[in-house]
Amino acid sequence: MHYSPVITNADIAAKDENLHLFQYVEDSKQCEIDTFVSRGGYKAWKKVLEGISREDLINTVKASGLRGRGGAGFPTGLKWSFVPKDSPKARYMVCNADESEPGTCKDRVLMERDPHAIIEGMAIGAYAIGCHLMFIYIRGEFDHCIDKMEAAMEEAYAKGHLGKNVYGSGYDLDMIVHTGGGAYICGEETALLNSIEGERGQSRMRPPFPAIEGLYASPTIVNNVESLAAVPHIINRGAEWYASIGTEKSKGSKLFSLSGHVNRPGNFEVPLGFNLKDMIYNPDYGGGMLGDVPLKGVIPGGASTPFLLPDMIDVALDYESLQEKDSMLGSGAIIVFNENTCIVWILKKLIHFFRHESCGKCTPCREGTAWLEQMINRIEAGQGEAGDLEKMEEVCGNILGRTICPLGDAAVMPIQSALRLYRDEWQYHIDHKKCMVKSNFEFK
Amino acid sequence: MSEAVKKDQPKVSVPTVTFSLDGQSVTVPKGTTVLQAAKDVGIHIPTFCWHPQLKSVGACRMCYVEVEKMPKLMVSCMLDAMDGMVVQTDSDQVRQGRKAVLEFILLNHPLDCPTCDKGGECDLQNLTFKHGVDDNRFDFKKARFKEESMTTTFDDKKIGPEIVLNRNRCILCYKCVRANKEAFGEYDLGAFERGNITQIDAVPGGEVCNPFSGNLVEICPVGALTNSDWRYKIRVWLTKTTPSLCNFNSSGSNIDFYKEDHQNKIFRVTSRTNDSIDDGWISDITRYGYQVINSADRLQKPLIKKDGKQVEVSWDEAINFIAKKYNDIKESVGRVCIGGLISPSLDNRSLYSFSKMIRTVCKSNNIDFRGDYRMLPNNPDSPFGVLRSQPFSIAEIDDSDVIVSFGSDLIHEHPNEYLRIRKAFNYTQPKIYSMMPYSVKSADVANIEYVYTPGTDETAINAICLAGIEENVVDASMATEYIKHVVPSTLKDASALCGLDEAELKILARSIAEGKKITFLVGEIVTRSKARDIITAALLNMNKLFGLSSKGQISILARYANSKGAEKLGILPDPIAPIKEALKNDFEEYPESEPRNTDGMMAHIRKEEIKGLFIVGSNPMMLYPDKEFIKESLDKLDFLVVCDLFETETTEAADVVLPLAGWAEYDGDYVNLEGVCQSAKQAVKPAGESKAAYEIVRLIAEKLEHKTFDVESIDKGVEACLAIDTTIKLPNEFLDIKAESEDVTGEFSHPIFIIDDAHHCGHLTEKAPSLNNFTAEAYLMMSEELAAKNNMQENDPVRVESEVSKLILPVKISESLDSDVLLIPRNFQSSPVTSLCMRKRRIDRVKISKVDE
Repeated sequence: MHYSPVITNADIAAKDENLHLFQYVEDSKQCEIDTFVSRGGYKAWKKVLEGISREDLINTVKASGLRGRGGAGFPTGLKWSFVPKDSPKARYMVCNADESEPGTCKDRVLMERDPHAIIEGMAIGAYAIGCHLMFIYIRGEFDHCIDKMEAAMEEAYAKGHLGKNVYGSGYDLDMIVHTGGGAYICGEETALLNSIEGERGQSRMRPPFPAIEGLYASPTIVNNVESLAAVPHIINRGAEWYASIGTEKSKGSKLFSLSGHVNRPGNFEVPLGFNLKDMIYNPDYGGGMLGDVPLKGVIPGGASTPFLLPDMIDVALDYESLQEKDSMLGSGAIIVFNENTCIVWILKKLIHFFRHESCGKCTPCREGTAWLEQMINRIEAGQGEAGDLEKMEEVCGNILGRTICPLGDAAVMPIQSALRLYRDEWQYHIDHKKCMVKSNFEFK
Repeated sequence: MSEAVKKDQPKVSVPTVTFSLDGQSVTVPKGTTVLQAAKDVGIHIPTFCWHPQLKSVGACRMCYVEVEKMPKLMVSCMLDAMDGMVVQTDSDQVRQGRKAVLEFILLNHPLDCPTCDKGGECDLQNLTFKHGVDDNRFDFKKARFKEESMTTTFDDKKIGPEIVLNRNRCILCYKCVRANKEAFGEYDLGAFERGNITQIDAVPGGEVCNPFSGNLVEICPVGALTNSDWRYKIRVWLTKTTPSLCNFNSSGSNIDFYKEDHQNKIFRVTSRTNDSIDDGWISDITRYGYQVINSADRLQKPLIKKDGKQVEVSWDEAINFIAKKYNDIKESVGRVCIGGLISPSLDNRSLYSFSKMIRTVCKSNNIDFRGDYRMLPNNPDSPFGVLRSQPFSIAEIDDSDVIVSFGSDLIHEHPNEYLRIRKAFNYTQPKIYSMMPYSVKSADVANIEYVYTPGTDETAINAICLAGIEENVVDASMATEYIKHVVPSTLKDASALCGLDEAELKILARSIAEGKKITFLVGEIVTRSKARDIITAALLNMNKLFGLSSKGQISILARYANSKGAEKLGILPDPIAPIKEALKNDFEEYPESEPRNTDGMMAHIRKEEIKGLFIVGSNPMMLYPDKEFIKESLDKLDFLVVCDLFETETTEAADVVLPLAGWAEYDGDYVNLEGVCQSAKQAVKPAGESKAAYEIVRLIAEKLEHKTFDVESIDKGVEACLAIDTTIKLPNEFLDIKAESEDVTGEFSHPIFIIDDAHHCGHLTEKAPSLNNFTAEAYLMMSEELAAKNNMQENDPVRVESEVSKLILPVKISESLDSDVLLIPRNFQSSPVTSLCMRKRRIDRVKISKVDE
């Protein structure tokens, strides 16, 4: 059996009854249906079919305060309630498992190690919106996740948790595991829907929002893996329990993928509001900076979120607190880098990614990311020219908020924040035609 | 929903919104975009990716507007106007946004305007001058696509028979890909790669050769797609346009000819958008068909057959010769026994003059415009004539909730109507059904495609009625009455006979019964069938049973540019009474002689009762579905005059050949299938000494001492006729229908249908090189299954044998066909496919065998 060598805090989660997502992830038997059921799996799904009305279900999820874990943080229950009740069209539930934000690898662990939890969450979500065919769209490179999800789906069918007339309730529910072709943009919900339809993976303008006109022009809900995996727990243990975890406005627990120059990079489940400094330095989590080289900065929520300087890291990991620091919780991918890292080099890597992943549909993102990459490459190579930084800022301004989907924003927000927070380093690159830190750069 | 669809809707019932646009208060129907609203009041918002007939995608970001209380710039093509909105289309922020977009677009754009064919009519050029900056902040090398196999610096890549792609100029508005898919239902063009290396290209291993491909070039906002017929020939600002019409379809697509003052030549055709007819899309035949006019093969001077050989003569000599022959026949027989056959693609004036000549000079009712149909009914109020005369409106397709196409391969016969149905399919999602004796690509928008056994058309219609009766969706007393008139009279028998599924028929019957607005269009399968009267009678019964015409339209569509005009002007042996009356009034006389249609004339030529024949623009030798019959008849003639643009098989048989001017060479009016009269203006001078048909008629008539063939007199007659409502009343009673049965002899078992190729129409288009780049020779189209069964592959030569003739044709495997029906295009002189047909056959049948080399 394959396990990716990822550090998790499953041991803590197993003891802390509030941490539910990672409770059993270290147990290789958890992905088998019998083990899953013996630990209370599919209980929530059964309970739902045995007589929870759609309205009650949606209200429960609303009351729990669960917010989308994919990055945008939109309240899940509210999203479900947007599906028109009187639409004659089919409705679709789509689980977004196209986890591709650089630094993010949390959904992957759930899919590999607790796939039935996702299926159960999807099924409950599907029922809430009256859907009879649900999809899980998995990133094409995630071979093991695809295998695990397919195997789990077959088990669920075989044991009657999916299929015709589930548990004799008269409710039919089918599921399709759909794999992506390797495009970051397909993690964006409208591009994901295009991809399922067999179209080019390019995002669509909103409105209409998918809840009104999504997959095959029918009402569709797209939820992240982690959001859906939390749903059965909310049903089993109640909205109040869930709402008691976390902070006033950011409720529940959240998975964080910690990477970069820390001693223990890995996936950690913590209640929202957990301190970022603790995350990095607590021996149970990040375990401190690698080689004790001082911290230079943190990207708190995936490659597309603005940077935090060392003096800004004493912050609660929740939607609101990070916003106060002009950054975002995003997908929960915390990337830590030490003083030996060149900021221009980081941006060069980031913009290369975004340029490469720009779908090519709308002009500012398609052309702008390529131009930015050329400029950053030039500065990094010591050939930057006076005025380049100002020009970059203007180009960023011409992309931010002017594109169809958030990819354009995602590409420029780290650049804008790096230009603001590490201005002197950029300027040094241009003035001295070389890097400020490269001489003692060790991280490979 | 597209703006165009919305515009057509009645404004009264739609709720409206009022908002402020640049300080102006604007009220528009709810759901109108800000962009459309601005266009309506004359405020210009620049766009690249927006097209009135396509769904907006908001890709180019050029149409930014600033909206109060919205923090970001909004794209107006996707922003629905809402009550109380305050919109600025020209604020500082908007101007800055546009400049930024233009800067982005121009980063890698080659700026090779001096060598780019789009220069002068390029959206990017125009909008850059209007909204852009003249400074360039991009100091990197421009990205370049290079095709390895090409040596030019322009990245010219041929992606279709007529389309050249330059990826470097492409600004990725995706209009071409979207139009191809959305408006035309074609998938031969796509976008590949992503980000800034995204490129438009033909699908791997394929080419862009669909029948609407020329539109992709026309809607390209830059010079990324150019057509090979136009590129490098002339700069657009040196040309002038002349408004004209398509001469190859019956809806009268509105077009512009591009010509240059010093050369008597047409350079290209573009659409002259008319939303009530063509929505701005024109088929490739319409676009490239003009090359017929430019052809070097055009007849230059009159020809007279001397000692068995046709030699060039002057007009005077030719007209004198015709007059002499006319008098000879008159003297030898004692009366004028001359007939006339004219093409329904000619203008009103020509048709009317011709009819006047045949009726007053030749004193005969031997006249027809249907030279390529066999066994036509003689009486004008036959069921066929009745259904043919029913009104039809293209725009009504838009809001029909049930659309049925019966016996029509729409893409080949009525491309505009196909696109119209496709638009409805995209926007209003009506129920669409297609019924044909073989499956067709045009049925791709249909909910259900019904493929009935060839030759059982009337039973297929009867089966719909019987399904309606079984489903109890029609009036019970009418149903009882109906059953008395039809054989077979049960759904089970009928569906078994025509090979359709009972359950599927019930769905169709229910849709027709429950539809609120129905469009039922009937095509060439019926018009060309020998059994057209029986089939039409079945359609009339169905119409009565379902009360169809009271809640929509049902009509047999006219096929050629002026077929409807020819009917309205009475170019028939026996026109309906009011037309006859009008003709009598205008001519001040009307011949007493027996009315004879194409078949009647040919039969009487064989009996030597008709001695002479005028043929204008028709080519029965090539197009009449019994070549032998026509050949024998024409050989019997004492005297044959043929007017045409080219030498054809028919002109070969002629004693006098007169060069005919093409439709672009004189002013003419044409009546489209809706009965709408439209004008085409003269773009160029007639080739050589060719003349318009009405000129030729006038010369002959005046030579024979008939004076009233001047333009004014003729136009007066035309006007009087066109003012008459030619709709014939639908019958009140059910008509008797007994299914015709046909014995299929064992050996000749494959039903064959003679069709028009998707890129050709009639006998002229063969002279358009661009159209030949799509299809240049006849083929035998068969299903994949049939090909496999006979061990035949694409392009294998195959012997096609009927009882009367045989031909060798290359195989073309069709994606849509799935029965043992064979299709052959009739548009190529080198393959006389009509020789396989016999005029008295309802379905022509052949056998096929592989040619072993």
